[in-house]
Amino acid sequence: MYEPKIIAYLCTWCSYTGADTAGIARLKSPANLRAVRVPCSGRVSPEIIMRTFDQGADGVLVLGCHIGECHYDSGNHRTAKRLPVLKTLMAYAGLEPQRLHLDWVSASEGERFSRIVNEFAESVRLLGPANYPVKSWAVHNVELPWAQSEPLDSLGFDIQSYAMREAAIRDYASQLLSESRVSCVIGYERSPRGRLRPAFIYTPEDASRLVWNPDCTHNLTLYLSEKIRDGGRAPGKKPDQNPASIGIVVKPCDSRAIQVQLAEQQIQREQVHIIGVTCEGIQAELDAYENQPVSGKARLQKRCQVCSERTPVVFDRLVGGTVSPELSGTDSYRAVDAIEALPPAERMEFWLSQFDRCIRCYACRQVCPSCDCPTCLYERDDSLWVGPASGSGGVGLNEARTFHLGRAFHLAGRCIGCDECERVCPMDIPISYLNRRLAQEVRERFGYTAGLAPVPSPIVTVLSREEGL
Amino acid sequence: MADNGSNPLKPDLGYIAEVKDLGAEIKLFSVKLLNGGSEQFNYYHPGQFAFLSAFGIGEAPFGIASTNERSDLLDFAIQRLGSVTTGLHEMGEGDIIGMRGPLGNCFPMDRFQGKNLIVLGGGIGGAPLRPVIHTVIDHRQDYGHFSILWAARHPSLLVFTDEYDDWGSAPDTELHLTVDQPDTKWDHNIGLITDLLERVAPSPENAITITCGPPIMIHFVNKMLVEKFGFKPEQNYVTLEARMHCGIGKCGRCNLGEKLVCVDGPVFNMEEVGQMLESYL
Amino acid sequence: MISSSSGLNELYSVSQENLADWLDRIQSSAKLIAHQEVGGILLYQPVSDSRQIAWTEARPTLSSKDAFFPPTEQLFTIQREGNNLTIVESEPVGKQVLFGIRPCDAQGIKALDALYLETDPADNYYQRRREATTIIGMACREMAPSCFCTSVGGAPDDSRFMDLMLYRGDDHYFLAVITDKGASLLSSFPLKSDLLEAESAAEQIKSYIPSRLPIEIPNQEDWPASFASPYWDEMSERCISCRICAYVCPTCRCFDVRDQLYPSENGTQVFERIRCWDSCTGTAYRRIAGGHNPRPEKGQRLRNRFFCKYYYYPAQYGPVACTGCGRCIDACPVGVDITEALSYVAQRGSLSDLDRSGA
Repeated sequence: MYEPKIIAYLCTWCSYTGADTAGIARLKSPANLRAVRVPCSGRVSPEIIMRTFDQGADGVLVLGCHIGECHYDSGNHRTAKRLPVLKTLMAYAGLEPQRLHLDWVSASEGERFSRIVNEFAESVRLLGPANYPVKSWAVHNVELPWAQSEPLDSLGFDIQSYAMREAAIRDYASQLLSESRVSCVIGYERSPRGRLRPAFIYTPEDASRLVWNPDCTHNLTLYLSEKIRDGGRAPGKKPDQNPASIGIVVKPCDSRAIQVQLAEQQIQREQVHIIGVTCEGIQAELDAYENQPVSGKARLQKRCQVCSERTPVVFDRLVGGTVSPELSGTDSYRAVDAIEALPPAERMEFWLSQFDRCIRCYACRQVCPSCDCPTCLYERDDSLWVGPASGSGGVGLNEARTFHLGRAFHLAGRCIGCDECERVCPMDIPISYLNRRLAQEVRERFGYTAGLAPVPSPIVTVLSREEGL
Repeated sequence: MADNGSNPLKPDLGYIAEVKDLGAEIKLFSVKLLNGGSEQFNYYHPGQFAFLSAFGIGEAPFGIASTNERSDLLDFAIQRLGSVTTGLHEMGEGDIIGMRGPLGNCFPMDRFQGKNLIVLGGGIGGAPLRPVIHTVIDHRQDYGHFSILWAARHPSLLVFTDEYDDWGSAPDTELHLTVDQPDTKWDHNIGLITDLLERVAPSPENAITITCGPPIMIHFVNKMLVEKFGFKPEQNYVTLEARMHCGIGKCGRCNLGEKLVCVDGPVFNMEEVGQMLESYL
Repeated sequence: MISSSSGLNELYSVSQENLADWLDRIQSSAKLIAHQEVGGILLYQPVSDSRQIAWTEARPTLSSKDAFFPPTEQLFTIQREGNNLTIVESEPVGKQVLFGIRPCDAQGIKALDALYLETDPADNYYQRRREATTIIGMACREMAPSCFCTSVGGAPDDSRFMDLMLYRGDDHYFLAVITDKGASLLSSFPLKSDLLEAESAAEQIKSYIPSRLPIEIPNQEDWPASFASPYWDEMSERCISCRICAYVCPTCRCFDVRDQLYPSENGTQVFERIRCWDSCTGTAYRRIAGGHNPRPEKGQRLRNRFFCKYYYYPAQYGPVACTGCGRCIDACPVGVDITEALSYVAQRGSLSDLDRSGA
């Protein structure tokens, strides 16, 4: 008779003591329940939970103090917000959401403890053993529909106005630099080979290198903190004693990334001088051999086809007038719903087959303006919860899946959907579907969209007494 | 398979025979190989290092702090700084670890014979110098005048304090100690090792210096020896440190320009170091 | 039919159909690795059916080096019961046939052989995969804009390091038997083909092979002069310190070694020691536990990368560690381009000492 393996993370102040109370009263506990004592339910991070399922748990239970009774005041508030989001993510990755459960038990509630664990164990038993395999068992080609592209000109692209915006950017950048109002301008240029790439402009003369066209895909805000830290100095030169601010050319999506950085105080408003450019969309990548659009027709990037912001949300100078037509963008992909609609086992298989290709190059993380931890959890030498293995090595645990799911979780409520992570991935892993699913979740649960204002996501802020849970 | 069927990435098993406290977060581990282990550990030389595995965490390189003349155990002085060293510090006598080695080149002790030797050790950097000191003391007539300059940031970080009497009382040998920050019991020199060196003022005549310590210390010691005392760079030997993952010249990590610290070093003289494109600093 | 005794230096014609059928048959004795369309990109992957093969000469995103040096490899497991520890070496991989690799990939093998096989001590893991693999090459009919193999001693039809070599014609393939290993595979599994007149066949093949003017490549002695230049800080400003360039490269071979927990039962603790790809472009690559890092700046790291490929590696092991495949150029998210660096070093190298000091 199958007995589900349940791991219960119990906070030492309330629920662990509650378990003791249940034991003293000789109330029965499920046979395969193993308790892990933690200082606070807030300590139970997504990596710990994913590792628990990796190691063969059929169900994971997190029990904390009742809201308002946390020994650390608000630790359980964090859990209350984070765990439902994590549940959504894990369900999206193919694990039945009922296998992860969060509840509150106080020190004296032995009966409540007993009831919760027994009910949970029973519901997990009915689900059967967890299907959270380490490796995919087949290459699964799920056909996913997403918005069909239209040729550029049918969307009203005006090549003339691109040239005008380019000229305006050059003029303004040159002016800012000659007046020393900025120490440098981060923008776009063409390489000698003709590729579009980030440019760092330090002199008014060099501003003529700046360009603006439908290839300007990069989210340049990833360089902001770095540039501010070194005082905007040119390579080989000494930093200024009183450095001026950093100028930066941003598209509407990029400007939202700046709002997130401001909200989290990674940068201060006066340290950045924002040249916001209105945008009709960025071209999808060209074939390396042909230097031509893959389908023969110019194609918009996926993110642009569902974009709802054509004008930057924050700027010091706006380049370009109002953009028409405004798309009624939903910021969501049909593919996200299509994956959600798959049965759990197929969803699991889909994601495993994607993560199998991951070579842990970390380009997705490095290119993300919101991934700004000085040392990433996934690269620490002493990380107990995840290792450096890539997707398809002959090793015991699927670390690549943990990396991607964990990173997506860390970005919930912080990702602004520039999809650069997906563009740079050399292995074509559809990372955006994870991020967009969680953005949807945060919108529905908290009414919050990242980057519209310099206000942090409710997931990371402490619960106020007024927020109902 | 490699010629004799061995796998240079697979460690031998050893056990910790003795653990001794050497200082603040510094311990001396004396290790014995299990089941004989690889032949090579019977013949190692001052300056060489070995990879120690704290299984389940990883492995890291450590200078061998003993001589096979004095001991059939291998000594390692380990400061707790990262995940592997923490893992090792949590182990005790009888615990099993992995060992790979001996690796790297060694001090050319034969070329030092007949010369005056000046040894400068900074903090945990003193560990790879201990076998040099033991070799000189055990073959005293083979070497000229012997000066030992031993430094640390604080008395609690000085290593091998219980051997200082032996070192200082060897014939024609002087031992100088200094710390940056004294405690209440300290009654030797106070100051950086370069202050001490200035006072000792060694002559470059028929002399060799051997320095091991933090990169910045190596830099300033060598600078003073060359610019103030007239030593030629090739008279100054150092052992350099770098992050390593294989120790056998395969993983490519520990390069300084075209030299690999694990196979072309860790022992270099400062003439070679000066020729390297890349700086160790 | 090709016989086993003769066969070297001869050219045969074979149809794609017969080739596909042959590839299905050889799978009874070896794992077949060939390029497939996977999730929208081209990759060398194990295939179970020749119909999965993408019959194209486009350059796959990753090189073929992972057949010999995989992204993650288990070195051994450590099994602990109480204070009893046993090290169990990993199983050797079975026979492999690598089908359709490009000349630039094979030149990468040459660079890796120089380090992993020809320099003591030989690397067991690389060696046994290498010995277990038969390599079937495919010449290129076109070069991508980023390709520059001809500038570094390679060519789109270079058959060195292949055991068998294919060249696509109009409606058939030309097949050359390069080594005894290749001949032996053909004798175990006969392949329906027609012997051709060698000289005229070779001429026909030449007509399909693209050519390209070489780009500027510095001489080895040009490199030191550029070491201290501020160029490296300038060109690396856009670098995001990811690891794509090293991972797509046929010759990059830096690795990390770690212990990881492995699922186990009944009171035994099992760890596995793995080695996995790493890259000198990562920030923490040279950082030691005490915090010291000799390459904290991106410019220092990229400089090390290019110097390693063209100056350190050949000085230590012989071959230049770059095959001109152009993958790093196409894959770099921010347009860092090795050919720009090569051009800079070559031009600076050709200046006189007097000119250079003013620069």
